[in-house]
Amino acid sequence: MRAISRAFTGLTAVCAFGQDVGTGVEQFHKGQYAAARQTLERALKDSPGDAHSTTFLALSRAATGGCKEAAPALAAQFNSGAGDLRRLAGVGLAQCHLAGSRFDEAYPVIQKLEEQNPADADVLYLSAKLHMRAWNGAVYRMFQKTPASYRVNQLSAEILEIQGKYAEAAAEYRKAISKNPAAVNLHYRLGRALLMESHAPEALDAARKEFEAELALNPSDAAAEYQVGQILAAKENDTEAAVHFARASELAPDFPEALVALSKLRAGDEAVALLERAVRLQPANEAARYSLMLAYRKAGRAADALRQKEELDKLQKPPEGEFTEFLKKLGEKPK
Amino acid sequence: MRALAALVFSVVLAAQFENTSRRAGLIHSIPNGGVDSKRFIIETTGSGAAFIDYDNDGFLDVFLVSGGGGTSRLYHNNGKGAFDEVTAQAGFTRDGWGQGVCAGDFDNDGFTDLFVTYWGRNALYRNRAGKFFEDIAARSGLTQNRIRYNTGCAFLDYDNDGRLDLFVANYLKFDPATTPKPGENPYCWYRNIPVNCGPRGLPFDRNILYRNEGAGVFRDVSEESRIAKPSQHYALGVLTGDFNDDGFTDIYVACDQTPSLLYMNRGDGTFSEEALLRGVALDENGKALSGMGAASADYDGDGWPDIFRTNFSDERETLYRNLAKGEFEDVTRGAGLSRNTRFVGWGCGFFDFDNDGWQDLLLVNGHAFPEVEKLKLDIRYKDRAILYRNTAGGKFDDVSDASGPGILERHSARGAAFGDIHNDGSVEVLINNQNEPPTLLERAGKPRNNWIILKLTGSRANRGAIGARVKVTAGGRTQTGEVRSGGSYLSQSDLRLHFGLGSAPKVDEVEVRWPGGATQIVRNLRPNRVTAITETARP
Repeated sequence: MRAISRAFTGLTAVCAFGQDVGTGVEQFHKGQYAAARQTLERALKDSPGDAHSTTFLALSRAATGGCKEAAPALAAQFNSGAGDLRRLAGVGLAQCHLAGSRFDEAYPVIQKLEEQNPADADVLYLSAKLHMRAWNGAVYRMFQKTPASYRVNQLSAEILEIQGKYAEAAAEYRKAISKNPAAVNLHYRLGRALLMESHAPEALDAARKEFEAELALNPSDAAAEYQVGQILAAKENDTEAAVHFARASELAPDFPEALVALSKLRAGDEAVALLERAVRLQPANEAARYSLMLAYRKAGRAADALRQKEELDKLQKPPEGEFTEFLKKLGEKPK
Repeated sequence: MRALAALVFSVVLAAQFENTSRRAGLIHSIPNGGVDSKRFIIETTGSGAAFIDYDNDGFLDVFLVSGGGGTSRLYHNNGKGAFDEVTAQAGFTRDGWGQGVCAGDFDNDGFTDLFVTYWGRNALYRNRAGKFFEDIAARSGLTQNRIRYNTGCAFLDYDNDGRLDLFVANYLKFDPATTPKPGENPYCWYRNIPVNCGPRGLPFDRNILYRNEGAGVFRDVSEESRIAKPSQHYALGVLTGDFNDDGFTDIYVACDQTPSLLYMNRGDGTFSEEALLRGVALDENGKALSGMGAASADYDGDGWPDIFRTNFSDERETLYRNLAKGEFEDVTRGAGLSRNTRFVGWGCGFFDFDNDGWQDLLLVNGHAFPEVEKLKLDIRYKDRAILYRNTAGGKFDDVSDASGPGILERHSARGAAFGDIHNDGSVEVLINNQNEPPTLLERAGKPRNNWIILKLTGSRANRGAIGARVKVTAGGRTQTGEVRSGGSYLSQSDLRLHFGLGSAPKVDEVEVRWPGGATQIVRNLRPNRVTAITETARP
């Protein structure tokens, strides 16, 4: 009861209406849900069918534990209403579904809310909450039903990575590998965790072993090839690095990062061709654009370089990009 | 056996640096905010260090900028390897969040003046005949209409009129009353621990250029010169130099979490910002790094000034090679500088510690957040320095581990200044450490190679010859250097130029291109001494 009341705190709407309706809405916003309910029931008697009275009464009922009673009115307003009232009804309805753990019913409501209100903090919060609740449920079931599975260790490792506990994550990946040596992606993730855990040169060698182990299991893993190339490049072994970058770009022809990396080890027209291909594959790839700009400049193609600079200027990274970077650090393979 | 011999040989070759600050009398701790945690970003960025000869006695003195809770300190070099504190008698009494320092003789009276940046009002300390300093910022037109977070600075004569102008970098708009506290938003976290917020999430500010109008008056020309045009950069370290060799001084600014800036001097009183196209804004992957300090030298001996920049942990340091005419290429990896990725680098400088004629490189480190110590990772709030030896041929060797205890001591270092305090040919390094006394890195045992220090004095050009470019030819090689104000991280190195000469018994030729374009050649100089060169009057 208290939880659902709290969930409605902070929902705001600006509207003009009659005295009882106004008082009821104000009471709702102050968190006086029981009083709001009484006031709005009275208002509804005076003006049956009034959208504001109906919706805020339903919200007040939901906030006082009456989700079942409130749901039809909220659904009706959400499906056929308009503006902020519609948004409020949708948020209230979704909260009712979440409070009752009816994730299947909450999902379409929240999806529609997101479509209608793509930058709304309340809606995005609900969306995050829905997925978190679903994720928590799945994790709980997994830990309960298959506690000895290598997947439990894998998932634990991934959670530890998110928490920045790379040494612990690596230990969990190792446990997962010992339970299922044939599972793909574990060595790759372990290699990434080792690189994140330490800046020591030895970490490069240890991580390379894991990426190579991944390749032994899955020779077509372009991301693992790329990582081996990166390690060799960091160790200034350009000749071998180029072999791995080339193989990565053959395995995944739509892998612009591999083309960019390879271009740095090539010169002249060959480098330009690789970068032009990378830019064609992913026009918003800043690394590819930047490298192409410099390659054009080096080749004396000033006008082409300037054109790339203009494109780069347009790609100026918004702050949100940092979160993408953060996700990349977690070892997500390029899509 | 051969391997053992090689090992012994390399150990014998390695220079040994020690921290002699206590012995030298540099004993005062320089406050800079929290020791175990920091609430605000202002506590993380200070402060600079300077080597200047303020009384013209031929020996470099020491100036250390202080954060809040102390005054900046001036120490006089007694000529015997030690320093006496002269802070109060020299007129330095102000408390405040000091950040950077740069030096130049802005009034051409023959005495080096100091400019000190603050969060708040900056200070222009006019040197009164080497006796004391007087803050004349207000009457010189250097006041600002609001509180600004000034960081790096440099005197330069951007219009070659013989008077030193002044560039001041601004980090961001900082107000403790409105800045979120640690952990309050996503920009106030680092590796899952709450830390002081920023720079991301805090509002940008713009850089400032003041033109010296003469008679001790400066005028803000930021708008008309287009210095104020770039508006989305967190500016820290300032490095000046004529990077395209057109006779006009350009300005490079290391920027935190945003692309670094290169203001190219158009020679008509305006600048155009061209860092991206010229290849010095980002790293080789097109990513903006957290630039802190910057240094320049012709490390590969091709006659063009290159740029080095220090960055944050999980990033590489960056070495940009000047391909000629101010177009650069990121050569960090190929030069052997890509392996130290755990450090947050700040002060940096090229210096020839073994006098072999090739510019070596030192950078000082220390994480921004004291809280990282709790993580028990290999990144540290107090960390060691990194010393790279230039092996010629465009490559560096990391010789830190073999270079003595001074390099390996852990401090949260910020500013670093380079200069020869004994005039014996061995360059010392002064490092401003947060909440600790400074470090004075001295080489134990002097290098065997020959050297020369050039002290330039302008007559038509500005008196301190800032912006003069020098070519030194000795033993069949030509080295280049440039007299610079500011640089490193918010610091001021010796305004004299030091060159290692290897085994060359003499300097065959010194060519000076003075600001304004006049060229002067001096031949057959004896090595192992400080040599003064004064600009000759034009015919």
